[in-house]
Amino acid sequence: MNYGYCNKALRIDLSNNLIKKEKLDEEFLKKYLGGRGLNVRRLYDEVPPEVDPLSEENKMFIGVGPLTGTLFPGAARVNFTAKSPQTKILGDSNTGGFLGPEIKFAGFDQIIIEGKADQLSYIYIKDGEAEIKSAQHLKQLDTFETQKKIKEELGDNRIQTAVIGPAAENGVKYSGIFCNMVRAAARTGMGLVLASKNIKAIVVRGTTDLGASKPDKFKQLIDKMDEEIKNHSEYEIRTRLGTTQLISSLNELGCLATRHFQTGYFEDADKVSGEYFEENYKQKEKGCFACTIPCSRYFEITKGKYKGLKSEGPEFEGLAGFSSRVGVSDIEDALYGVDLCNRYGLDVITTSECISFTMELYEKGILTSEEIDGLKPEFGNSEVVFNLIEKIKNREGFGDILADGVVTAAEKIGRGTKKLAMHVKGLEIFQADPRGIKGYGLGVAVATRGGDHLRSEPWFEFSEDAEEGKRRFGHPESAFRLEYKGKGRVVKYYEERCVLADCLEACKNTVVNMEIISFKEAAELLNTLTEYRFTPEEIKKSAERIMNVERAYIVREGIRRKDDTLPDRFLNEPLPEECGVSAGSVVELEPMLDEYYKAREWEVNTGLPTESKLSELSLDKIMLDLKKREII
Amino acid sequence: MYDLKIVVESIEGFCDLPMEIGDYFIVSGGKIEIPDGKHICLWALQSLMPVLPAKQRELNEENDWIPHTKRFRCPDPNGGVVFRIDRLDPKTGKALKEEMEIPPRIQVNPDACTGCRACETVCAFVHTQSFNAERSRIKIAKNEIKGEDIPYICRQCGDAPCIKACPVEALRRSPKTNAVLVDEDKCIGCNKCAEACPFDAISFDGNNVALICDLCDGEVECVQRCPTDALKFDNKGGREK
Repeated sequence: MNYGYCNKALRIDLSNNLIKKEKLDEEFLKKYLGGRGLNVRRLYDEVPPEVDPLSEENKMFIGVGPLTGTLFPGAARVNFTAKSPQTKILGDSNTGGFLGPEIKFAGFDQIIIEGKADQLSYIYIKDGEAEIKSAQHLKQLDTFETQKKIKEELGDNRIQTAVIGPAAENGVKYSGIFCNMVRAAARTGMGLVLASKNIKAIVVRGTTDLGASKPDKFKQLIDKMDEEIKNHSEYEIRTRLGTTQLISSLNELGCLATRHFQTGYFEDADKVSGEYFEENYKQKEKGCFACTIPCSRYFEITKGKYKGLKSEGPEFEGLAGFSSRVGVSDIEDALYGVDLCNRYGLDVITTSECISFTMELYEKGILTSEEIDGLKPEFGNSEVVFNLIEKIKNREGFGDILADGVVTAAEKIGRGTKKLAMHVKGLEIFQADPRGIKGYGLGVAVATRGGDHLRSEPWFEFSEDAEEGKRRFGHPESAFRLEYKGKGRVVKYYEERCVLADCLEACKNTVVNMEIISFKEAAELLNTLTEYRFTPEEIKKSAERIMNVERAYIVREGIRRKDDTLPDRFLNEPLPEECGVSAGSVVELEPMLDEYYKAREWEVNTGLPTESKLSELSLDKIMLDLKKREII
Repeated sequence: MYDLKIVVESIEGFCDLPMEIGDYFIVSGGKIEIPDGKHICLWALQSLMPVLPAKQRELNEENDWIPHTKRFRCPDPNGGVVFRIDRLDPKTGKALKEEMEIPPRIQVNPDACTGCRACETVCAFVHTQSFNAERSRIKIAKNEIKGEDIPYICRQCGDAPCIKACPVEALRRSPKTNAVLVDEDKCIGCNKCAEACPFDAISFDGNNVALICDLCDGEVECVQRCPTDALKFDNKGGREK
């Protein structure tokens, strides 16, 4: 029986057709906890800066955590990590669903995929063994069809799959990896990394035993957490609407990404909101593996031109991406847009940025219709949205320009459009306007995988609890979203909570947003689950260590303080009047950055991790590597 | 042979005859005795008729429902008079206490199932200390594209066909919960119980022993962990899909 950890990694060398198992020792597991931690450390060691992300030398690390597959509510997640072909820095994306637990039951904490298969293939892993099978017959199939075909062909409905869609096969830089239909590790182009290795899918079936070292105590802790979750003030809204609740709440705050961030208020938000969706389309709640707070939904459109469209989801990012961000007021159009992205295997955030960017350039007269294949991409024109998604997927016409992401598109278009590209470090930013949530703004600016909110989720700035702000982060202002003081410390704290979630491989809804477990409780859980002994301080230190490894990795790729920034609009253009309380706001980034680097004990001028910090975190090998490369 | 006393226990509608609560008649051997000045409704009597001779007799069939059937409702939708049939103790002439407690069972509502499989995980864990769903006595069959999530679990049928089908008498009822219990040492993994099960609720673990819900001896962990009302532990409710 395995207890929390399987102590084993599976390494698959596609070029040489070699499959081997590697032992993971206690020290490595304790230092890097699981999932994201295991992956980024290996990435640092095994994928040096010389590696081209689309070459055979890039590697894909797939990691699960100690809680994955256990009773812990929502410990369903799995991280995919590689050098990103989209950003050329840290590529890392994670998803829920059922794949993570299946990997664990197949007997592995980590799967490493290297080299390149000589033809389109899929990897089939079952109970400790793996084989490479041909996927020629799955070529260009969409993600849903691919998942269905594989289950049919292997004759086992309980198989779990991670697949790529046609977008990845066609070389779209922001194509993701999809599980359970719509569960996507969509960010940073991890789908394209698999495609570059000629891998259409990873298929897993696991039936081996996994237990807890102190089963009764572990069960007691879980029962307590279940109780806490059920009694949490957000339980009801999260199970009813999931993340789609954010459309109306962010709109009320005046910071919902609208018409490419030209404003934070969408006048038709109530027609595309989570509440509207619930009333008209939701069939029932859906959940990830063993989750007691089911936040996903199954829906069906029963009449009109999309009659018969049924799927799981959507999440906030997709729904807002194909409504407010592109100015579309019909929720059914938005649902169709999300469905296309899911089937083609595209990241909804980046896709909606590329399209809304095009719309703004067209509105401003920077791009003409002729340049966009004769299309007239006005905000609100859903037909153009679908058309562009199609073109991006096929890399045809103007879609070819958009298929590398917004930075490359802006470079190709020129004419000063780079200023309007809504990205950080080459990764397009989410559907909330940082000007109304400044802690999130800082989090997005410093996120190790580029412009992304899920590296920090500093929700505390919504709390408006000045006393707690002072107590926890030294500034009463830290509890208010429009203030900037104290946010450096807030972001550091929540970055480490996110690391904890991504390493235990539990959901950020509970671990970060609802703060269901403390570092102390995390230690209790691991001490009753695994055969190792953890203290809360050690876990906290591991979280900080992992943040520093990621920073060291991107620093080695050339990232410095100058790159920890936000698009010009958020720094210089105040939110317009209709944004209510958020009107007039911009992000005061520089003072927040100063505070953040100080909190991290990094060099304030450069954003480089210091020799002493790396040493303190037992990262001497990395410290010496950075010194040898004359970076620090 | 028992004598019977048939009493009006409650009136759900309005009886214009009228029959009143507490009215009764006695079935004594082959005749009906009605107290002076009282009457019995013909339609009610007609609905009671077929069961009276059966209730007079001792029945030894295992799982037979007739000994435990006590109440009949008059067929007039407007009336709704409920009659209770009591067997009388031949020695004392008093009503025998033989009310059967209807044991609660797990009821399933697939339309509310989120497909999360929390039930599988906890079932496997409390029974085997392993989270491995292969060891679970409840299984969720999913069709993600259609959004179907169907829990498969034993409903503890009254006249359980699995018990009858077992060739080695490995299945018996729990006296406490009425759950079907598997004697792991006796089970030969022949699949006969699974074939007989009308709910496809029986699977086999790695050691080829039948996995049948044992209602956790009354503390149904899967129901407690279910985040919606897809699983309920109750003695009411009909046969679901």
